[in-house]
Amino acid sequence: MASISSIRNFSFSRAYDKFSRKVSRIALDAVGSSENLPTISNPKKLNAIDWIGKNLSSAENRLILGASALLSQPFIDASNKEVDAETRRYSICRTIAKIIAGTATGYTIRKLCIKSIDAFAKLPSEIKPDMKFKNLRQVLAPTLKCTAEELAQYKNTLGTILALGVMVFTNFLIDAPLTKALTNLFAGRSENK
Amino acid sequence: MNVASLFNNFKNTILTKYGPNPAKMLIYTGVLGWFLSSAAQVVAIAVNDKIPKEQKMFLIPQEIGDGAINVVSFFLVTSVIKNFASRLVSSGRLATPNIRKFLTESGINIKTKKGWKVLPNFDFSKFNIENMTNFYKIKDEYKSFKNGVDVIGMTAGSILSCNIITPILRNKYAASRQKKTLAEMNMIEQDKVKYPRGISMDTYQKYAAMKYSTPSSSLKI
Repeated sequence: MASISSIRNFSFSRAYDKFSRKVSRIALDAVGSSENLPTISNPKKLNAIDWIGKNLSSAENRLILGASALLSQPFIDASNKEVDAETRRYSICRTIAKIIAGTATGYTIRKLCIKSIDAFAKLPSEIKPDMKFKNLRQVLAPTLKCTAEELAQYKNTLGTILALGVMVFTNFLIDAPLTKALTNLFAGRSENK
Repeated sequence: MNVASLFNNFKNTILTKYGPNPAKMLIYTGVLGWFLSSAAQVVAIAVNDKIPKEQKMFLIPQEIGDGAINVVSFFLVTSVIKNFASRLVSSGRLATPNIRKFLTESGINIKTKKGWKVLPNFDFSKFNIENMTNFYKIKDEYKSFKNGVDVIGMTAGSILSCNIITPILRNKYAASRQKKTLAEMNMIEQDKVKYPRGISMDTYQKYAAMKYSTPSSSLKI
């Protein structure tokens, strides 16, 4: 039986840390033996890893999630034996419709918001004489010095935060009606005649 | 403190917190996205006049439960996999040729005929390249490699949580809620409901149209 002091000393974060360290250790051991440490030396792979770290924003992440969702979620719904065939068919149609609508709007809005932030977070050296709204081009730029990579990640973050705010509204204005229209289209086409 | 300095503080906080760590930003904005999406679903039901009050009492807790599954599953799975990927690099398990050369010169790795190995009894769990005194020599290449591996880990984690774990959990949860509702509607014990037959396609579509979310796969904003 657990004593009062052991309950008092129990900390969720400590327990989670311990668990996570253990899982990580087992997983790390499984990755490769310490006798032959993996080294990525293929230049193409190294360039790809570098490119992903620098350029993959939340917009591309959303696109990847959407594409992989189309390859997995309809099949998960199709194998759900806890509902009857008609519900299952409708559920698959709605899942596909939701993924298409959600990915299209999610990607577009994130991309547009990141571009908008980029337009108003310029470094002084990036402002050209023929640019419009020259006075506003630095409004969203940070005041601290940073590297070009850090600035790019900053723009991605600010753009994503802006996109999340915009999507609270577009979720109802675009996604919901588009999902409904696509669901009806898919449900109509997949109906047994 | 005026509005301008508050705004500058906000911008600089974003820069220092997420500028050097893109994977962390993707996880946090992902969690925020799921949370806002779930909150939007709850509000949509709460303000919808066409849904009777009795149904709102059922739908709102269901939507909150649904949202909790999304947020918790996304955060736990994604952050565990991202941390694992991160530790692969910071512990020196996975490296580029230059990082491996640096570790060899620092006496951490030993070159063998097959490749590289560590000293006997070396404890990976206590080692972190970033804590080495001569870390500055490899910092740029290491950071760029680690950011890439972190983002790949984060993406793999989010695919696993959003597209595999969450839909399975949500289907289970939704099916059990549906069974319970049907049992209540038909005044029978839940155990006796084999699976939710008896609900017509028209009724299901009416419910699905009223309620923005469905039993499977939430729409992440």
